[in-house]
Amino acid sequence: MELEIKNIYKSFGEKEVLKGVSLRAEGGKAFGLLGRNGAGKTTSIRILMDVFPANSGEILFDGKPIDYSKVQFGYLPEERGLYPKKKIIDQLVYFAELKGMAHGDAVKSVDGWLERLGMSEYRNKRLDTLSKGNQQKIQLITALAHDPQIVILDEPFSGLDPVNAMLLKDVVKEQISKGKIVLFSSHQMNYIEEFCDSIAILSGGKVVLSGDLHQIKRDYPRNRLVIRSEQREKILQAFPEAKAGEDGSLLLKLADPGRKQAVMQRLAAFDLDEVRVFEPSLNDIFVEYAGGEV
Amino acid sequence: MKQFGKILKFELKNYMTNKVFVGVTVFLMALLVVVMFFPRITESIDSGEEVATEDREVMLLVAEHPEIQTAFAGAFPEYDVRLFEGDVSAEITAGKAECAFVLDGLTSYRYYVNNLSMYDMNTEIADEVLQGLYRMSAMVGSGMSLEEAGAILNTTITHEVQMLGKDQMQNYFYTYIMIMALYMVILLYGQMVATNVATEKSSRAMELLITSAKPVSMMFGKVLASCIAGLTQLVAVFGTAFVCFQANKSYWDESGIVASLFDIPLELLVYMLIFFVLGFLIYAFLFGAVGSTASKLEDINTSVMPITLLFIIGFFVVLFSMTSGNVDNLVMKICSFVPFTSPMAMFTRIAMSTVPFWEIAVSIGILIASAVGVGVISAKIYRIGVLLYGTPPKIGNLLKAIRKA
Repeated sequence: MELEIKNIYKSFGEKEVLKGVSLRAEGGKAFGLLGRNGAGKTTSIRILMDVFPANSGEILFDGKPIDYSKVQFGYLPEERGLYPKKKIIDQLVYFAELKGMAHGDAVKSVDGWLERLGMSEYRNKRLDTLSKGNQQKIQLITALAHDPQIVILDEPFSGLDPVNAMLLKDVVKEQISKGKIVLFSSHQMNYIEEFCDSIAILSGGKVVLSGDLHQIKRDYPRNRLVIRSEQREKILQAFPEAKAGEDGSLLLKLADPGRKQAVMQRLAAFDLDEVRVFEPSLNDIFVEYAGGEV
Repeated sequence: MKQFGKILKFELKNYMTNKVFVGVTVFLMALLVVVMFFPRITESIDSGEEVATEDREVMLLVAEHPEIQTAFAGAFPEYDVRLFEGDVSAEITAGKAECAFVLDGLTSYRYYVNNLSMYDMNTEIADEVLQGLYRMSAMVGSGMSLEEAGAILNTTITHEVQMLGKDQMQNYFYTYIMIMALYMVILLYGQMVATNVATEKSSRAMELLITSAKPVSMMFGKVLASCIAGLTQLVAVFGTAFVCFQANKSYWDESGIVASLFDIPLELLVYMLIFFVLGFLIYAFLFGAVGSTASKLEDINTSVMPITLLFIIGFFVVLFSMTSGNVDNLVMKICSFVPFTSPMAMFTRIAMSTVPFWEIAVSIGILIASAVGVGVISAKIYRIGVLLYGTPPKIGNLLKAIRKA
């Protein structure tokens, strides 16, 4: 399975929201869609799900224009919300039926998920009697009960306690292992780093960076060393160009990456806890690419 | 289509399991049962009992001839008419008497009453009685015998009406009830549809709905569900009334109005249904579209105002024409082709006058086309509206967005 968005343009009135967005996501892998607030993530997702059409561009599924009657989407919107006054089982079955499931199958599937997420006891309760985290689990079921090929999770971890976050991680991993296309959108970079193989960063309606996350990290110039030592002061005297990091480590920028070995030998004179080549975190990458336009 | 069915079912179930909806329906049904059985109940309680003399209100009469008292007692059976001399005002203010007639002769009198009721007909009755007495005495005075004078005064004219069109009086009441029912149901259910959409939007269930179902299915499903719910309620309420009326038919015989209510010709009933459903749909679509542009429930009341106003204006045009008796005036003719007023105006004309069939057909045709058109446009507004949060969009911007969509 492969999903490809090609060169999507979209404007609302005078405002151009997407200016040529292209993405490519594969089955069995998670894809991270990043971007600051207002970068165009939700608009991209809505176009992908056919809520409204793009001005131009195309969406391909397995190389052919997507057929919405055949491809099923599961969506966990960032703005959570269901019917607060309705019985949980009723509304979950309703949403599964809207996605094309027969009534009996829908009930069976929903019950299976309630069991799986430890929510069976709330089956016949009203939604607004549940805590926020539990409501979120219910919402997750609406995204997964009809066994969609493409799962879109917008900020899935916000508001979950660590135990529920673990549970959700397992569920997400299971979906990925089933070969589904999982699209992640989150501002919690640690989760993206944990799950996503490839990412795209949106900024101002354009993709400013996309590709394999490991490759992106490897492609950064490997010209900085992170040094952690008890003898900080002495090292700073020997290397005045080193900068003190926030966490007490030192960041040493090499004028020439080829001299790495020579520098390491000089460092060996000190009592070192750790020396490694600096690799940017996703957080750093995000700030670098998406932080530009304020 | 499958989605539409699911939505219809879900929304319908919402109405049918809504405690307020069920409660109100049952209450209305119970109320009508009581009303319809009322004559039977009252009759069984005071079967044949005359109003006791001591229970009657006292009417004082200041007059010279005792035969006037006899005449008054006959004309006012609900009063205990007593001859009196003295100050009647004091008696009335003291509460000892309800009213008093002080006669200066046969041609002039003063009527004393504490609070003059809006429906007080006593002076009219007294005028007639005195007029009769005066004429009688004048005739007898000019030499006629008492019997001759009586016969002349009691001459009655017989007449017969040959009605070729409609009896406005008979049709007036159920036309009135149908218009009232349409008015109430449209405003109540319209508000419900608008609130329903706005609630989904404010609870953000919309985010999921809009990605799960087509806006057209959503709109038509919701509106048709409310239409079915409304019809069910009406059928339940009026059906109960009809059944109870049939059971008590003999007790209602004296009341021509009530009997005429349940004597609607089948043809009119069919027209009523057609105009009711179409009128309901066209307004419910509008209300749904407006609901989708509101971000918060509080916004709805102001947003629906133009629609409500449009409807109320139509309602009053029809109502005034009905009471004036001229339902075929120019305004009514125009209104009976304008889709937003035709359900009320055309039905009223059909019921209370004679309308050529082609006019009815054209009116229904326009109405059907408009209902479908308004439905589709509403679905478009809905699709745009549900994703907009913040201040409700201006109509101009909305129209621009619809054209593009």
